[in-house]
Amino acid sequence: MPAPSASRTVFPTLPKTVLFVSLASLLFGGLAPRVGRGDDEAQEPSEKREFFETKVLPILQNRCLECHSHQADKSKGGLMLDSRSGWQTGGDSGPAIVPGKPDESLLIQAVRHTELRMPPTGRLPTEETRILEDWVLSGAYDPRTGTSPQPPSDRPPTTRHWAFEPPNQAPLPEVRDRQWPAGAVDSFILSSLEREGLGPAPESDRATWLRRVSFDLTGLPPSPVELSNFLGDHSPEAWATVVNRLLDSPAYGERWARHWLDLVGYADQIGTSNNVFAENAWRYRDYVIGSLNADKPWDHFLTEQIAGDLLPARSETERAEQLVATGFLLLGDLSIVEADKAKLRIDTVDQQLDKIGRAMLGLTLGCARCHDHKFDPVSQHDYYALAGILFSTHSVERATWGVWSFPFERELPETPAARAEREALLAAQLRRMDQWRRELRDLQGKKRDLDARLAQQPPLPAETRTQLDEERKPLELQIRRLDTQLVHAEFFRAKPPRALAVEEEPELRDMRLTIRGNAHAFGPLVPRGFPQILQTKDAATIPTHQSGRVELARWLTHPRHPLTARVAVNRVWQKLFGEGLVRSVDYFGVRGERPTHPELLDWLALRYHELGWSQKRLLRELVLSRTYRQSSLPNAEFESRDPENRQLWRMPRRRLDAEALRDGLLAVAGRLQPTGGGPGLPLEYPENTGGLRRGEVNPPHFNLGKFRPEQEYLRTVYLPIIRSGPQVGPAEVRNVFDFTQPGEFAGRRSTTTVPTQALFLMNGPLLKNRAREVAQRVLREAATEPERLLHLWRLVLGREVSDEEQAGARQLLEQLRPELAGGGELAPPEIELRTWSELCHALLASNEFLMLF
Amino acid sequence: MSDLSRRALLQTSACGFGGLALRGLLAQQSIADSESRAGAPHHPPRAQRVIFLYMSGGPSQIDLFDPKPLIDQKHGTRISPPIDGREVTVGVDRYLALGSKWQATPRGASGVTISDLLPHLARVADELCLLKAMETDNEAHAPASLQLHTGTSIDVRPSMGAWLSYGLGTENHNLPGFITIHPESDVRTYGAGFLPAPYQGTPLTVPTRPEDLPIRNLRDPQTPVRVQEQRLGFLQQLNERSKRRAGNDPQLEGMIQSFELAFRMQKETPGLVDLSHETEATLARYGIGPGLASDRNGRACLLARRLSEAGVRFVQVTMGGWDHHGDIRGALPKTCAGVDQPIAGLLEDLRARGLLDETLVVWSGEFGRTPWSQDLSGTSPIETHGREHQPESYCAWLAGAGVKAGIMHGRTDDWGYRPIEGAVHLYDLQATILHLMGLDHERLTWRHSGRDYRLTDVHGRVVSEILA
Repeated sequence: MPAPSASRTVFPTLPKTVLFVSLASLLFGGLAPRVGRGDDEAQEPSEKREFFETKVLPILQNRCLECHSHQADKSKGGLMLDSRSGWQTGGDSGPAIVPGKPDESLLIQAVRHTELRMPPTGRLPTEETRILEDWVLSGAYDPRTGTSPQPPSDRPPTTRHWAFEPPNQAPLPEVRDRQWPAGAVDSFILSSLEREGLGPAPESDRATWLRRVSFDLTGLPPSPVELSNFLGDHSPEAWATVVNRLLDSPAYGERWARHWLDLVGYADQIGTSNNVFAENAWRYRDYVIGSLNADKPWDHFLTEQIAGDLLPARSETERAEQLVATGFLLLGDLSIVEADKAKLRIDTVDQQLDKIGRAMLGLTLGCARCHDHKFDPVSQHDYYALAGILFSTHSVERATWGVWSFPFERELPETPAARAEREALLAAQLRRMDQWRRELRDLQGKKRDLDARLAQQPPLPAETRTQLDEERKPLELQIRRLDTQLVHAEFFRAKPPRALAVEEEPELRDMRLTIRGNAHAFGPLVPRGFPQILQTKDAATIPTHQSGRVELARWLTHPRHPLTARVAVNRVWQKLFGEGLVRSVDYFGVRGERPTHPELLDWLALRYHELGWSQKRLLRELVLSRTYRQSSLPNAEFESRDPENRQLWRMPRRRLDAEALRDGLLAVAGRLQPTGGGPGLPLEYPENTGGLRRGEVNPPHFNLGKFRPEQEYLRTVYLPIIRSGPQVGPAEVRNVFDFTQPGEFAGRRSTTTVPTQALFLMNGPLLKNRAREVAQRVLREAATEPERLLHLWRLVLGREVSDEEQAGARQLLEQLRPELAGGGELAPPEIELRTWSELCHALLASNEFLMLF
Repeated sequence: MSDLSRRALLQTSACGFGGLALRGLLAQQSIADSESRAGAPHHPPRAQRVIFLYMSGGPSQIDLFDPKPLIDQKHGTRISPPIDGREVTVGVDRYLALGSKWQATPRGASGVTISDLLPHLARVADELCLLKAMETDNEAHAPASLQLHTGTSIDVRPSMGAWLSYGLGTENHNLPGFITIHPESDVRTYGAGFLPAPYQGTPLTVPTRPEDLPIRNLRDPQTPVRVQEQRLGFLQQLNERSKRRAGNDPQLEGMIQSFELAFRMQKETPGLVDLSHETEATLARYGIGPGLASDRNGRACLLARRLSEAGVRFVQVTMGGWDHHGDIRGALPKTCAGVDQPIAGLLEDLRARGLLDETLVVWSGEFGRTPWSQDLSGTSPIETHGREHQPESYCAWLAGAGVKAGIMHGRTDDWGYRPIEGAVHLYDLQATILHLMGLDHERLTWRHSGRDYRLTDVHGRVVSEILA
């Protein structure tokens, strides 16, 4: 039986534009074998006919034809079962029956109700299922003729889509106002403004630009000193000096790492069941921060994350870094309790592909797991060609107990110095544990003595017993505490460093197409490879001795790849200008948004190559543009003609995101800790952990109640991220201000305004604590009320206080002092501090602090 | 309210803040439909509101609603259910039948089967539409619960309440369209996913002491209200001034208004959740009282009724404790005692107020439990065994607007494992809930990443057999 799907292997040689037309016809019957009375008719045994007519046909009629026949005018899933050709051609999922092979036949899988479930109203009686199985096994004899006309296809005709064509180098456009552009970016923006009869906004004042660029590049506000330096720098290089300082600061990596982490599903938890800690996930977070601060070329950054373990390394440090990078493939919401391990494996592959698709390609590859992509030229064949690469990559391991599975971890190479340090630490830990064990034995001995005396016959006098009981209670408590401490110390003793990382499967395998994504229903084998539509001419072939991840990375980062660079520069643009040039930043497919400035997008993508994929250099060009220097002032006339500001006739206003809000508060309070890499989960506190003993049914887990004191003052990127619930402790701000949930791979955060945010700002501890610290700082650093107000405005809003504001503030302070004086038990400095805290609180919750203008 | 008149109000009221009158927080239908934010129904709705009672953990259907004589007969002995053996199992590999210790017998005029463990629910048996052959896809809590709430087991998608708020808007503009009482920790179960955030569920804790906050950050107990009001007044002055300087902007305006709404919530919510003015009879009906096992759930159910009555489209109450892996015979009666009276009281109260005709009540766990036993230790006597999760079949029920009352729909095999008749997949239940609310589950969509998403993904069938 020449199943139509077998013919799919021919399509890579077809020209792209006809690909989908022919694929549709393949699926829907264009090349279906001709139906009629064929060769087998001559030998048609009468018992086969009888079996079909008396046993099989009634089942089909009673159970299936209601939804799958011409008479009923229905072809659910494109499948007709009222003729032989109907099931031979099959529906969306391919032929319904493979004669002789019930296990490979969709119809049989469906009636068995494993993944596909037919009929939808309930399983067939076992007897009927068996009849159908026997029928298929014996060759699925079916004398019914009649053609199965092709059901209407909802696939739109494939046209050339801009995003799948390599970027074009357009000449710089002509502009009327030649004075305005400071570079190519400005020329593109201005030319389209002029074409639309719009014009750029006037330049922002310096303080506004400084605040904007500081938050954009580092996620932090400028300090008063930085402000006055910039205001006092009259050289034409003043702006560039600021930008260089910001890009050189470690705060840059801490800011921009978070943008990437939004796309990869980073969390300090594995899966969403039972609070399982991801003890080593932080290494990936630190890797991203370090890579960005080192300005690692973007193509190399992507390559390491897909194939780091397969790259050559010059040192242990580099090797470790490359292994950690592959954590990219393992972060995300893994179903660690999935009991069906075959399903878990292909679900994991699916998530990896989905992530690569969204984060790097701007495509929703996941759609093609079950069927050819409905809108984009990604076939199911393409999907499984890519999936085979990841199927040949070891990502998940079963736990040695229970139903659990975990993402794979690998030991990292150490420098000799690091090893020596670790061994010394371990020795100290072992000595301490020995000491505890001795103490424990002593305590247990004492308790045994007491127990023996309490059990003594004849019993001791009641008074003595009570006394002994009193002695026993604290002993018991001590024993329990020490025991927990020991289990905890044993579990977390210094071990060789490990990281979430992949390795090659021992057995490299192409993947079979699956039917509607079902892990147990397979179609034909698909050789590993890359999507046809995005094929580059000199793409590497996949070697037989490797999974193909190196080639996958090479394909992704190929200079002629139409998507990777465009997607990357568009993401950078979106972070600076609020919206991407392509507004659907994670989706460049046919149904995505078209670029507002296609030529600029292409120019930037090509420029990115020229700049050696240096994100810092790209950013420098963008933030030094006149476009970025525009003010955000409204313009009623332009507003009415371009209400969404698609042409960028002004800078958009943006609210600080969760991280910038909290980090900005810490910065103005003067309490921000300079660095903070390393484990985010404070697992060193035994009370934050559970299930550490051997022989537990459930895996070790966390219960985050206690934080390190310094975590209150670390940048938000370093705080632990919980996958299964609300964020806790100092990270609570994430729950309220549109943080990307770790289950998402989403590059653009929404900005919502809901009253829970106002409640958080009004009553939550974050604002209250920081307000008090800002007040302390202002009272300490300036002496008189006018000086203090001046300082406060510079600190919080990065500008001078106006006379009107001063008057209002002084009035508020005056009103509040008696209110806060209490019953007279507070000392005057405390009253002053509380009064100023209220003023600071108002300023910190003001729109001017929360927004970038 | 226009920009100008609001500012005028701010200027005249004390310290310019908090002077805005609240339009009856509990008033029903206070806003004309023309102001409604979201769309209209696709067809005339049968139900106006949903109260979803979520039994977190997976209640045991064989002990509560679906008796299996074969299992009772074979109690303690090995059975061979039609397992496909593809999945890893823990502690159930012996397949020992675990008979039910209680009788689920026909109740009321209708004969809907309900266990002795739920005597109060048995009283209202004739209100129930019991689905005896539910099926779902996941055997672990987190993904199964997520699928029940959002239609997908691993992703971030809008929750059912968010879809309904988006589809129908809110009936009361002073209250959110979706409130979830005592939700599970996974925020996705009440999140808006890619829908706009105002459609997300507002989590609420029913306070038992005066100092408890029903909503996070609802109050700041350390700061006197007058001080807070003065601070907020100054804040709004700052905001008005920066708006004047920077030019009007809907986002700035929205942020200003959100503070006013938050201040109103702070003022009015405590009264809304305060049950101290309810009559003794009402409290008793819901099983509310100090020391009663049903106190917490009773308060939650009573509050759910009040919120629903006030026009909240989708109110969810989560009641946990159903995850009986061990000693189900010891533990199940306690769990039942915690929910029985509150739920029966809710149905009776809704009926008495004439609200059951416009309110759909849904009762479901994320899956059911195996009729055979689970013994994690491998050494316990059968009497102390529990039951493992079972997505293959379980029971749920509906009551109220638009569904047949006093019926049982569907049947499972003698092992209580596979549906053999009237199977209702979770997606079908979701499709049916939307249908009753006047929404077509195939047309209630949102474009995201180039695709139109819906609650039921590519699945779902309205269970027309149970519609009244």
